[in-house]
Amino acid sequence: MVDLDLVEPFYTLRPLKRQLEETGIDVIAWETRETMGLGEAGSILKPEMKWSLKRETDVIMDIGYGVEGAKTLNLVEDALNNKDLKIFAVVNTSRPMTASVKDIVEYVSGLGKVDGLVNNTHLGDETDWEIVEEGAKIVTEAAKQLQIPVVYTAVDEKLRTAGKTTDSQGNPIKYLHRYMPRSFW
Amino acid sequence: MADKPIEGEKRVFMTGNEVVAWAALAAGAEIMYGYPITPQNEIMHYWTRLAPKYGRKFLQTEDEISAGFTTIGGVLAGRRAFTATSGPGNTLMQEPMSMAEMMRIPVVQVVTQRGGPSTATVIYSQQEVTMTCFGGNGEGARIVYSTSTHQELFDYTIKAFNTAWKYRFPTHILGDGYQSKMRESLTMYDPASRGIEMVPTEPYVAKGGVPGIDRDPNHLRNTYNTEDELYDVVMGIMSDWEKYAPEIAEYQEFDAEDAEVLIVAHGVVTRAVQAAVKELRAQGKKVGHFRPVTLRPLAEEQLRKRAENAKVVLVVESAYGQLCKIIANSLYGLTTPIKKVLKPGVGVTAEEVVEEVSKLL
Repeated sequence: MVDLDLVEPFYTLRPLKRQLEETGIDVIAWETRETMGLGEAGSILKPEMKWSLKRETDVIMDIGYGVEGAKTLNLVEDALNNKDLKIFAVVNTSRPMTASVKDIVEYVSGLGKVDGLVNNTHLGDETDWEIVEEGAKIVTEAAKQLQIPVVYTAVDEKLRTAGKTTDSQGNPIKYLHRYMPRSFW
Repeated sequence: MADKPIEGEKRVFMTGNEVVAWAALAAGAEIMYGYPITPQNEIMHYWTRLAPKYGRKFLQTEDEISAGFTTIGGVLAGRRAFTATSGPGNTLMQEPMSMAEMMRIPVVQVVTQRGGPSTATVIYSQQEVTMTCFGGNGEGARIVYSTSTHQELFDYTIKAFNTAWKYRFPTHILGDGYQSKMRESLTMYDPASRGIEMVPTEPYVAKGGVPGIDRDPNHLRNTYNTEDELYDVVMGIMSDWEKYAPEIAEYQEFDAEDAEVLIVAHGVVTRAVQAAVKELRAQGKKVGHFRPVTLRPLAEEQLRKRAENAKVVLVVESAYGQLCKIIANSLYGLTTPIKKVLKPGVGVTAEEVVEEVSKLL
Protein backbone atom coordinates (compact mmCIF):
# COMPACT_ATOMS: atom_id res chain seq x y z
CA MET A 1 0.00 0.00 0.00
CA VAL A 2 1.53 3.28 -1.10
CA ASP A 3 0.55 6.57 0.49
CA LEU A 4 0.95 8.91 -2.44
CA ASP A 5 -1.36 11.52 -1.01
CA LEU A 6 1.08 14.36 -1.32
CA VAL A 7 -1.77 16.86 -1.18
CA GLU A 8 -2.35 16.06 2.52
CA PRO A 9 0.84 14.32 3.61
CA PHE A 10 0.32 14.72 7.33
CA TYR A 11 -3.36 14.02 7.59
CA THR A 12 -3.89 10.58 6.19
CA LEU A 13 -2.38 7.17 6.78
CA ARG A 14 0.25 8.19 9.33
CA PRO A 15 -1.59 7.31 12.57
CA LEU A 16 -2.66 3.93 11.21
CA LYS A 17 0.57 2.83 9.50
CA ARG A 18 1.77 0.42 12.17
CA GLN A 19 -1.65 -1.09 12.65
CA LEU A 20 -1.89 -1.84 8.93
CA GLU A 21 1.63 -3.30 8.91
CA GLU A 22 0.65 -5.67 11.69
CA THR A 23 -1.93 -7.18 9.35
CA GLY A 24 0.87 -8.13 6.94
CA ILE A 25 0.59 -5.23 4.49
CA ASP A 26 3.76 -3.48 3.31
CA VAL A 27 2.95 0.19 3.90
CA ILE A 28 5.08 2.68 2.00
CA ALA A 29 4.47 5.95 3.84
CA TRP A 30 6.41 8.36 5.97
CA GLU A 31 6.85 7.68 9.68
CA THR A 32 6.53 10.76 11.86
CA ARG A 33 10.15 10.49 13.04
CA GLU A 34 11.39 10.35 9.43
CA THR A 35 9.71 13.62 8.57
CA MET A 36 11.82 15.51 11.13
CA GLY A 37 12.77 18.87 9.71
CA LEU A 38 10.56 18.63 6.62
CA GLY A 39 8.05 20.96 8.23
CA GLU A 40 5.28 22.28 6.08
CA ALA A 41 7.14 21.35 2.88
CA GLY A 42 7.07 17.70 3.89
CA SER A 43 5.51 16.50 0.66
CA ILE A 44 8.53 14.60 -0.53
CA LEU A 45 8.54 11.33 -2.42
CA LYS A 46 10.09 8.28 -0.78
CA PRO A 47 12.33 6.37 -3.22
CA GLU A 48 10.22 3.24 -2.60
CA MET A 49 7.19 5.14 -3.83
CA LYS A 50 8.79 5.93 -7.17
CA TRP A 51 9.57 2.25 -7.82
CA SER A 52 6.49 0.72 -6.21
CA LEU A 53 4.99 -0.50 -9.51
CA LYS A 54 8.05 -2.70 -10.09
CA ARG A 55 7.04 -4.91 -7.17
CA GLU A 56 5.90 -8.44 -8.00
CA THR A 57 2.72 -8.17 -5.98
CA ASP A 58 -0.60 -6.36 -5.78
CA VAL A 59 0.00 -2.65 -5.27
CA ILE A 60 -2.62 -0.19 -4.04
CA MET A 61 -1.78 3.49 -4.38
CA ASP A 62 -3.71 6.15 -2.56
CA ILE A 63 -3.30 9.43 -4.42
CA GLY A 64 -4.50 12.84 -3.27
CA TYR A 65 -7.74 14.41 -4.36
CA GLY A 66 -8.30 16.59 -7.39
CA VAL A 67 -6.20 17.40 -10.40
CA GLU A 68 -3.10 18.15 -8.31
CA GLY A 69 -3.44 14.79 -6.58
CA ALA A 70 -3.76 12.94 -9.88
CA LYS A 71 -0.58 14.59 -11.17
CA THR A 72 1.35 12.73 -8.45
CA LEU A 73 1.27 9.68 -10.70
CA ASN A 74 3.73 11.44 -13.03
CA LEU A 75 6.33 10.85 -10.33
CA VAL A 76 5.89 7.08 -10.26
CA GLU A 77 8.14 5.09 -12.58
CA ASP A 78 6.15 3.41 -15.38
CA ALA A 79 2.76 4.65 -14.11
CA LEU A 80 1.72 6.12 -17.44
CA ASN A 81 2.57 3.04 -19.55
CA ASN A 82 1.82 0.26 -17.11
CA LYS A 83 -1.02 -1.82 -18.57
CA ASP A 84 -1.83 -3.43 -15.22
CA LEU A 85 -2.33 -0.14 -13.44
CA LYS A 86 -5.98 0.72 -13.04
CA ILE A 87 -6.97 4.16 -11.86
CA PHE A 88 -10.25 4.44 -9.99
CA ALA A 89 -11.90 7.65 -8.83
CA VAL A 90 -13.57 7.20 -5.45
CA VAL A 91 -16.79 9.20 -5.31
CA ASN A 92 -18.97 10.12 -2.33
CA THR A 93 -22.14 11.88 -3.45
CA SER A 94 -22.63 13.21 0.09
CA ARG A 95 -19.78 15.58 -0.70
CA PRO A 96 -21.34 18.65 -2.35
CA MET A 97 -18.56 18.92 -4.94
CA THR A 98 -19.48 15.48 -6.33
CA ALA A 99 -23.17 15.38 -5.46
CA SER A 100 -24.63 15.39 -8.96
CA VAL A 101 -24.02 13.50 -12.21
CA LYS A 102 -22.90 16.72 -13.87
CA ASP A 103 -20.38 17.57 -11.13
CA ILE A 104 -18.93 14.04 -11.10
CA VAL A 105 -18.52 13.96 -14.88
CA GLU A 106 -16.83 17.37 -14.82
CA TYR A 107 -14.54 16.40 -11.93
CA VAL A 108 -13.48 13.01 -13.30
CA SER A 109 -12.98 14.39 -16.82
CA GLY A 110 -10.36 16.76 -15.43
CA LEU A 111 -8.29 14.02 -13.82
CA GLY A 112 -6.75 12.44 -16.92
CA LYS A 113 -6.86 8.64 -17.37
CA VAL A 114 -9.53 7.09 -15.13
CA ASP A 115 -10.52 3.43 -15.61
CA GLY A 116 -13.51 3.26 -13.33
CA LEU A 117 -15.53 4.77 -10.54
CA VAL A 118 -16.01 3.50 -7.00
CA ASN A 119 -19.27 4.44 -5.35
CA ASN A 120 -18.15 5.30 -1.83
CA THR A 121 -21.25 7.28 -0.88
CA HIS A 122 -21.62 7.53 2.89
CA LEU A 123 -22.29 9.86 5.81
CA GLY A 124 -19.78 8.42 8.26
CA ASP A 125 -21.51 6.73 11.21
CA GLU A 126 -24.89 7.87 9.94
CA THR A 127 -24.70 5.88 6.71
CA ASP A 128 -27.67 3.67 5.85
CA TRP A 129 -28.57 1.67 2.76
CA GLU A 130 -30.77 4.44 1.40
CA ILE A 131 -27.76 6.81 1.27
CA VAL A 132 -25.57 4.14 -0.37
CA GLU A 133 -28.21 3.30 -3.00
CA GLU A 134 -28.96 6.94 -3.76
CA GLY A 135 -25.23 7.40 -4.43
CA ALA A 136 -25.15 4.22 -6.53
CA LYS A 137 -27.79 5.67 -8.86
CA ILE A 138 -25.91 8.95 -9.35
CA VAL A 139 -22.47 7.35 -9.70
CA THR A 140 -23.76 4.71 -12.14
CA GLU A 141 -25.30 7.39 -14.36
CA ALA A 142 -22.07 9.42 -14.25
CA ALA A 143 -20.06 6.30 -15.15
CA LYS A 144 -22.36 5.69 -18.09
CA GLN A 145 -21.77 9.20 -19.40
CA LEU A 146 -18.01 8.83 -18.84
CA GLN A 147 -18.14 5.43 -20.56
CA ILE A 148 -16.30 3.68 -17.74
CA PRO A 149 -17.57 1.02 -15.32
CA VAL A 150 -18.54 1.31 -11.65
CA VAL A 151 -15.98 -1.08 -10.21
CA TYR A 152 -17.83 -1.59 -6.95
CA THR A 153 -19.93 0.06 -4.28
CA ALA A 154 -18.18 0.35 -0.92
CA VAL A 155 -20.32 -0.28 2.17
CA ASP A 156 -19.45 -0.21 5.88
CA GLU A 157 -19.44 -3.80 7.10
CA LYS A 158 -21.79 -2.72 9.89
CA LEU A 159 -24.47 -2.64 7.20
CA ARG A 160 -23.60 -6.11 5.87
CA THR A 161 -26.74 -7.85 4.62
CA ALA A 162 -26.67 -11.60 4.12
CA GLY A 163 -26.87 -12.54 0.45
CA LYS A 164 -26.63 -8.95 -0.79
CA THR A 165 -23.71 -8.89 -3.22
CA THR A 166 -24.81 -6.18 -5.66
CA ASP A 167 -26.44 -2.77 -5.28
CA SER A 168 -29.70 -1.74 -6.94
CA GLN A 169 -27.77 -0.80 -10.10
CA GLY A 170 -26.11 -4.22 -10.36
CA ASN A 171 -22.67 -3.04 -9.20
CA PRO A 172 -20.77 -5.47 -6.96
CA ILE A 173 -20.61 -4.57 -3.26
CA LYS A 174 -17.38 -4.53 -1.30
CA TYR A 175 -17.81 -4.40 2.48
CA LEU A 176 -15.27 -2.23 4.30
CA HIS A 177 -13.80 -2.17 7.78
CA ARG A 178 -13.26 1.49 8.72
CA TYR A 179 -9.97 2.30 10.44
CA MET A 180 -10.03 6.08 10.09
CA PRO A 181 -12.30 6.79 13.08
CA ARG A 182 -9.31 5.73 15.23
CA SER A 183 -7.23 8.66 14.08
CA PHE A 184 -7.86 12.13 15.50
CA TRP A 185 -9.29 13.52 12.26
CA MET B 1 -25.22 31.93 -12.82
CA ALA B 2 -26.56 29.52 -10.21
CA ASP B 3 -29.13 30.87 -7.75
CA LYS B 4 -28.71 30.09 -4.07
CA PRO B 5 -25.71 27.96 -3.09
CA ILE B 6 -27.97 25.78 -0.96
CA GLU B 7 -31.67 25.25 -1.48
CA GLY B 8 -33.51 24.22 1.67
CA GLU B 9 -31.51 21.63 3.62
CA LYS B 10 -29.06 18.92 2.70
CA ARG B 11 -27.25 16.26 4.73
CA VAL B 12 -23.60 16.20 3.61
CA PHE B 13 -20.20 14.77 4.51
CA MET B 14 -17.08 16.89 4.19
CA THR B 15 -14.03 18.54 5.75
CA GLY B 16 -14.29 21.48 8.13
CA ASN B 17 -12.55 23.83 5.73
CA GLU B 18 -15.08 22.96 3.04
CA VAL B 19 -17.86 23.60 5.59
CA VAL B 20 -16.59 27.13 6.25
CA ALA B 21 -16.53 27.97 2.53
CA TRP B 22 -20.11 26.71 2.06
CA ALA B 23 -21.31 28.48 5.21
CA ALA B 24 -19.82 31.79 4.07
CA LEU B 25 -21.57 31.33 0.72
CA ALA B 26 -24.85 30.51 2.45
CA ALA B 27 -24.45 33.58 4.68
CA GLY B 28 -24.20 35.77 1.58
CA ALA B 29 -20.54 36.68 2.08
CA GLU B 30 -19.56 38.71 -0.97
CA ILE B 31 -15.79 38.59 -0.86
CA MET B 32 -12.97 36.73 0.84
CA TYR B 33 -9.46 38.11 1.23
CA GLY B 34 -6.66 35.74 2.12
CA TYR B 35 -3.13 34.49 2.00
CA PRO B 36 -2.27 30.77 1.99
CA ILE B 37 -1.35 29.00 5.21
CA THR B 38 -1.92 25.45 6.42
CA PRO B 39 -4.30 24.23 7.77
CA GLN B 40 -6.55 27.02 6.49
CA ASN B 41 -5.79 26.68 2.76
CA GLU B 42 -8.83 24.72 1.63
CA ILE B 43 -11.19 27.40 2.91
CA MET B 44 -9.64 29.56 0.19
CA HIS B 45 -9.47 26.69 -2.31
CA TYR B 46 -13.15 25.82 -1.96
CA TRP B 47 -14.18 29.47 -1.85
CA THR B 48 -12.30 30.22 -5.07
CA ARG B 49 -13.87 27.20 -6.78
CA LEU B 50 -17.38 28.00 -5.61
CA ALA B 51 -17.45 31.81 -5.47
CA PRO B 52 -17.50 32.55 -9.22
CA LYS B 53 -20.56 30.30 -9.66
CA TYR B 54 -22.49 32.60 -7.33
CA GLY B 55 -21.03 35.96 -8.34
CA ARG B 56 -18.82 36.23 -5.26
CA LYS B 57 -15.21 37.42 -5.22
CA PHE B 58 -11.76 36.61 -3.90
CA LEU B 59 -8.54 38.55 -3.56
CA GLN B 60 -5.23 36.94 -2.70
CA THR B 61 -3.01 39.50 -1.03
CA GLU B 62 0.76 39.51 -0.53
CA ASP B 63 0.59 38.56 3.15
CA GLU B 64 -1.78 38.33 6.12
CA ILE B 65 -1.30 41.97 7.15
CA SER B 66 -2.78 42.91 3.79
CA ALA B 67 -5.42 40.20 3.95
CA GLY B 68 -6.64 41.66 7.24
CA PHE B 69 -6.57 45.25 6.02
CA THR B 70 -8.26 44.47 2.70
CA THR B 71 -11.00 42.67 4.63
CA ILE B 72 -11.46 45.92 6.57
CA GLY B 73 -11.53 47.76 3.23
CA GLY B 74 -14.23 45.44 1.93
CA VAL B 75 -16.33 46.05 5.03
CA LEU B 76 -15.81 49.83 4.82
CA ALA B 77 -17.21 49.61 1.30
CA GLY B 78 -20.27 47.89 2.75
CA ARG B 79 -19.46 44.33 1.72
CA ARG B 80 -20.05 41.23 3.81
CA ALA B 81 -16.35 40.32 3.81
CA PHE B 82 -14.21 37.74 5.59
CA THR B 83 -10.76 36.27 5.85
CA ALA B 84 -9.25 33.07 7.22
CA THR B 85 -5.83 32.28 8.60
CA SER B 86 -3.81 30.32 11.10
CA GLY B 87 -0.80 30.49 13.44
CA PRO B 88 1.85 32.95 12.21
CA GLY B 89 -0.75 34.35 9.79
CA ASN B 90 -3.00 35.15 12.74
CA THR B 91 -0.03 36.89 14.38
CA LEU B 92 0.38 39.15 11.34
CA MET B 93 -3.35 39.84 11.27
CA GLN B 94 -3.35 41.33 14.75
CA GLU B 95 -2.69 44.84 13.49
CA PRO B 96 -5.76 44.95 11.23
CA MET B 97 -7.83 43.18 13.93
CA SER B 98 -6.84 45.94 16.39
CA MET B 99 -7.94 48.52 13.86
CA ALA B 100 -11.27 46.73 13.50
CA GLU B 101 -11.69 46.88 17.29
CA MET B 102 -10.90 50.57 17.41
CA MET B 103 -13.17 51.53 14.49
CA ARG B 104 -15.92 48.98 15.27
CA ILE B 105 -15.54 47.33 11.88
CA PRO B 106 -17.51 44.08 11.55
CA VAL B 107 -14.88 41.87 9.94
CA VAL B 108 -15.22 38.10 10.21
CA GLN B 109 -12.00 36.16 10.68
CA VAL B 110 -11.85 32.35 10.67
CA VAL B 111 -8.88 30.95 12.60
CA THR B 112 -7.82 27.33 12.14
CA GLN B 113 -5.41 26.94 15.05
CA ARG B 114 -2.10 25.19 14.39
CA GLY B 115 0.86 24.55 16.71
CA GLY B 116 2.88 27.39 18.16
CA PRO B 117 4.84 29.44 18.98
CA SER B 118 6.14 30.56 15.60
CA THR B 119 5.90 28.20 12.61
CA ALA B 120 5.68 25.11 14.89
CA THR B 121 3.32 22.51 13.35
CA VAL B 122 0.78 22.76 10.58
CA ILE B 123 -1.53 20.33 12.29
CA TYR B 124 -3.49 21.13 15.43
CA SER B 125 -3.46 23.15 18.61
CA GLN B 126 -5.49 25.41 20.87
CA GLN B 127 -2.67 27.89 21.25
CA GLU B 128 -4.31 30.81 19.47
CA VAL B 129 -6.81 31.50 22.23
CA THR B 130 -4.94 34.38 23.83
CA MET B 131 -4.07 35.92 20.46
CA THR B 132 -7.55 35.61 18.95
CA CYS B 133 -9.24 36.95 22.11
CA PHE B 134 -6.74 39.58 23.19
CA GLY B 135 -4.15 40.06 20.42
CA GLY B 136 -3.01 43.50 19.33
CA ASN B 137 -2.64 46.63 21.41
CA GLY B 138 -6.28 46.83 22.45
CA GLU B 139 -8.62 45.61 25.16
CA GLY B 140 -9.99 42.55 23.41
CA ALA B 141 -13.34 43.92 22.22
CA ARG B 142 -13.76 40.90 19.97
CA ILE B 143 -16.33 38.15 19.75
CA VAL B 144 -14.80 34.66 19.59
CA TYR B 145 -16.85 31.53 18.88
CA SER B 146 -14.97 28.30 19.59
CA THR B 147 -16.55 25.52 17.53
CA SER B 148 -16.37 21.77 18.15
CA THR B 149 -18.25 20.06 15.30
CA HIS B 150 -18.77 20.60 11.59
CA GLN B 151 -22.38 21.48 12.30
CA GLU B 152 -21.19 24.26 14.59
CA LEU B 153 -18.63 25.42 12.04
CA PHE B 154 -21.53 25.86 9.61
CA ASP B 155 -23.97 27.41 12.13
CA TYR B 156 -21.48 29.79 13.73
CA THR B 157 -19.84 30.93 10.50
CA ILE B 158 -23.29 32.13 9.41
CA LYS B 159 -23.96 33.56 12.85
CA ALA B 160 -20.59 35.34 12.96
CA PHE B 161 -21.58 37.62 10.06
CA ASN B 162 -24.78 38.57 11.87
CA THR B 163 -23.14 39.08 15.26
CA ALA B 164 -20.41 41.21 13.68
CA TRP B 165 -22.83 43.44 11.76
CA LYS B 166 -25.32 43.69 14.61
CA TYR B 167 -22.84 44.67 17.35
CA ARG B 168 -20.03 46.03 15.15
CA PHE B 169 -17.23 44.17 16.85
CA PRO B 170 -14.73 42.04 14.90
CA THR B 171 -15.96 38.46 15.13
CA HIS B 172 -13.87 35.31 15.03
CA ILE B 173 -14.53 31.64 14.39
CA LEU B 174 -11.90 29.72 16.35
CA GLY B 175 -11.44 26.27 14.85
CA ASP B 176 -8.33 24.12 14.61
CA GLY B 177 -6.43 21.86 12.24
CA TYR B 178 -8.35 18.76 13.28
CA GLN B 179 -11.67 20.41 12.56
CA SER B 180 -10.25 21.75 9.29
CA LYS B 181 -9.15 18.39 7.97
CA MET B 182 -11.46 15.79 9.44
CA ARG B 183 -14.58 14.75 7.63
CA GLU B 184 -17.96 14.37 9.27
CA SER B 185 -21.60 14.80 8.47
CA LEU B 186 -23.70 17.89 8.96
CA THR B 187 -26.82 19.54 7.64
CA MET B 188 -26.22 22.49 5.34
CA TYR B 189 -29.10 24.87 4.92
CA ASP B 190 -30.16 28.11 3.40
CA PRO B 191 -30.38 30.47 6.42
CA ALA B 192 -33.68 31.87 5.12
CA SER B 193 -35.24 28.39 5.19
CA ARG B 194 -34.72 28.40 8.97
CA GLY B 195 -35.96 31.93 9.43
CA ILE B 196 -32.45 33.32 9.87
CA GLU B 197 -32.36 36.79 8.41
CA MET B 198 -28.95 38.14 7.49
CA VAL B 199 -28.28 41.52 9.13
CA PRO B 200 -28.03 44.02 6.27
CA THR B 201 -24.63 45.56 5.58
CA GLU B 202 -23.95 49.23 4.86
CA PRO B 203 -20.99 51.21 3.60
CA TYR B 204 -18.88 53.23 6.03
CA VAL B 205 -17.37 55.31 3.22
CA ALA B 206 -18.75 56.83 -0.01
CA LYS B 207 -22.21 56.94 1.51
CA GLY B 208 -23.55 59.37 -1.08
CA GLY B 209 -25.16 62.76 -0.53
CA VAL B 210 -23.45 65.89 0.76
CA PRO B 211 -22.01 65.54 4.28
CA GLY B 212 -23.51 68.12 6.61
CA ILE B 213 -26.48 68.69 4.29
CA ASP B 214 -27.95 65.31 3.29
CA ARG B 215 -26.41 63.36 6.14
CA ASP B 216 -24.11 63.64 9.13
CA PRO B 217 -20.44 63.84 8.28
CA ASN B 218 -18.71 60.50 8.65
CA HIS B 219 -15.39 60.86 10.45
CA LEU B 220 -13.54 57.53 10.58
CA ARG B 221 -10.45 57.45 12.76
CA ASN B 222 -8.08 55.07 14.44
CA THR B 223 -5.68 57.84 15.52
CA TYR B 224 -6.25 60.35 18.32
CA ASN B 225 -4.22 63.39 19.25
CA THR B 226 -4.64 63.45 23.00
CA GLU B 227 -4.86 60.99 25.85
CA ASP B 228 -8.24 62.25 27.01
CA GLU B 229 -9.71 61.91 23.54
CA LEU B 230 -8.50 58.30 23.33
CA TYR B 231 -9.77 57.62 26.85
CA ASP B 232 -13.29 58.68 25.88
CA VAL B 233 -13.25 56.57 22.74
CA VAL B 234 -11.92 53.41 24.41
CA MET B 235 -14.28 53.81 27.36
CA GLY B 236 -17.14 54.14 24.87
CA ILE B 237 -16.12 50.92 23.12
CA MET B 238 -15.75 49.04 26.40
CA SER B 239 -19.02 50.36 27.76
CA ASP B 240 -20.79 48.91 24.69
CA TRP B 241 -18.78 45.73 25.14
CA GLU B 242 -19.93 45.34 28.77
CA LYS B 243 -23.52 46.14 27.78
CA TYR B 244 -23.73 43.55 25.01
CA ALA B 245 -21.51 40.84 26.50
CA PRO B 246 -24.32 39.05 28.39
CA GLU B 247 -26.49 38.75 25.28
CA ILE B 248 -23.58 37.59 23.10
CA ALA B 249 -22.08 35.01 25.51
CA GLU B 250 -22.96 31.36 24.79
CA TYR B 251 -22.17 28.16 26.67
CA GLN B 252 -23.22 24.53 27.05
CA GLU B 253 -23.51 22.38 30.15
CA PHE B 254 -23.34 18.62 30.54
CA ASP B 255 -24.37 17.23 33.94
CA ALA B 256 -22.92 20.38 35.49
CA GLU B 257 -25.68 21.07 38.00
CA ASP B 258 -24.58 18.68 40.77
CA ALA B 259 -21.00 18.14 39.56
CA GLU B 260 -18.30 17.74 42.19
CA VAL B 261 -15.67 17.78 39.45
CA LEU B 262 -16.48 20.46 36.90
CA ILE B 263 -14.44 20.05 33.70
CA VAL B 264 -13.99 23.16 31.58
CA ALA B 265 -12.88 22.73 27.97
CA HIS B 266 -13.56 24.43 24.65
CA GLY B 267 -13.42 23.67 20.93
CA VAL B 268 -12.74 20.17 19.73
CA VAL B 269 -11.58 19.09 23.24
CA THR B 270 -15.17 19.36 24.47
CA ARG B 271 -15.92 16.22 22.43
CA ALA B 272 -13.46 14.15 24.49
CA VAL B 273 -14.76 15.71 27.70
CA GLN B 274 -18.41 15.02 26.83
CA ALA B 275 -17.57 11.37 26.18
CA ALA B 276 -15.60 11.18 29.43
CA VAL B 277 -18.46 12.70 31.46
CA LYS B 278 -20.85 10.14 30.01
CA GLU B 279 -18.56 7.31 31.03
CA LEU B 280 -17.83 8.70 34.50
CA ARG B 281 -21.53 9.32 35.17
CA ALA B 282 -22.22 5.68 34.19
CA GLN B 283 -19.73 4.77 36.94
CA GLY B 284 -21.82 6.86 39.33
CA LYS B 285 -19.29 9.67 39.62
CA LYS B 286 -20.53 13.22 39.98
CA VAL B 287 -18.67 14.77 37.09
CA GLY B 288 -19.94 17.55 34.84
CA HIS B 289 -18.74 19.75 32.03
CA PHE B 290 -19.01 23.48 31.34
CA ARG B 291 -18.17 24.37 27.77
CA PRO B 292 -17.84 28.02 26.80
CA VAL B 293 -18.94 28.45 23.18
CA THR B 294 -17.87 32.09 23.21
CA LEU B 295 -14.41 32.57 24.72
CA ARG B 296 -14.94 36.35 24.34
CA PRO B 297 -17.20 37.33 25.96
CA LEU B 298 -17.29 34.48 28.48
CA ALA B 299 -20.53 33.39 30.18
CA GLU B 300 -18.94 34.33 33.50
CA GLU B 301 -21.96 34.36 35.75
CA GLN B 302 -23.10 30.90 34.64
CA LEU B 303 -19.61 29.47 34.99
CA ARG B 304 -19.19 30.93 38.50
CA LYS B 305 -22.51 29.45 39.57
CA ARG B 306 -21.35 25.92 38.69
CA ALA B 307 -17.77 26.35 39.90
CA GLU B 308 -19.00 27.63 43.24
CA ASN B 309 -20.80 24.35 43.95
CA ALA B 310 -18.05 22.07 42.66
CA LYS B 311 -15.25 20.60 44.78
CA VAL B 312 -12.73 21.10 42.02
CA VAL B 313 -12.58 22.72 38.58
CA LEU B 314 -10.50 20.84 35.99
CA VAL B 315 -9.41 22.81 32.92
CA VAL B 316 -8.46 20.63 29.93
CA GLU B 317 -6.89 22.19 26.85
CA SER B 318 -4.40 21.65 24.00
CA ALA B 319 -2.36 24.64 25.16
CA TYR B 320 -0.31 25.57 28.21
CA GLY B 321 -2.98 27.41 30.14
CA GLN B 322 -4.45 29.88 27.63
CA LEU B 323 -8.03 28.87 28.42
CA CYS B 324 -7.11 28.44 32.08
CA LYS B 325 -6.05 32.09 32.33
CA ILE B 326 -9.47 33.22 31.11
CA ILE B 327 -11.26 30.80 33.43
CA ALA B 328 -9.15 31.61 36.50
CA ASN B 329 -9.71 35.32 35.89
CA SER B 330 -13.47 34.91 35.85
CA LEU B 331 -13.48 32.66 38.94
CA TYR B 332 -11.44 35.14 40.99
CA GLY B 333 -12.59 35.21 44.59
CA LEU B 334 -13.99 31.66 44.67
CA THR B 335 -12.19 29.10 46.81
CA THR B 336 -12.76 26.12 44.48
CA PRO B 337 -9.32 24.82 43.49
CA ILE B 338 -8.41 24.74 39.79
CA LYS B 339 -6.54 21.72 38.41
CA LYS B 340 -5.19 21.56 34.87
CA VAL B 341 -4.53 19.14 32.05
CA LEU B 342 -2.34 21.10 29.65
CA LYS B 343 -1.25 19.51 26.38
CA PRO B 344 0.07 22.22 24.05
CA GLY B 345 -0.30 21.21 20.42
CA VAL B 346 -1.52 17.69 21.20
CA GLY B 347 -5.00 16.16 20.99
CA VAL B 348 -6.92 14.99 24.06
CA THR B 349 -8.82 11.68 24.21
CA ALA B 350 -11.80 10.74 26.37
CA GLU B 351 -9.70 8.00 28.01
CA GLU B 352 -7.12 10.55 29.19
CA VAL B 353 -9.83 12.75 30.67
CA VAL B 354 -11.37 9.78 32.50
CA GLU B 355 -7.95 8.91 33.90
CA GLU B 356 -7.24 12.47 35.05
CA VAL B 357 -10.64 12.81 36.71
CA SER B 358 -10.24 9.44 38.42
CA LYS B 359 -7.09 10.77 40.07
CA LEU B 360 -9.15 13.59 41.60
CA LEU B 361 -11.95 11.42 43.02
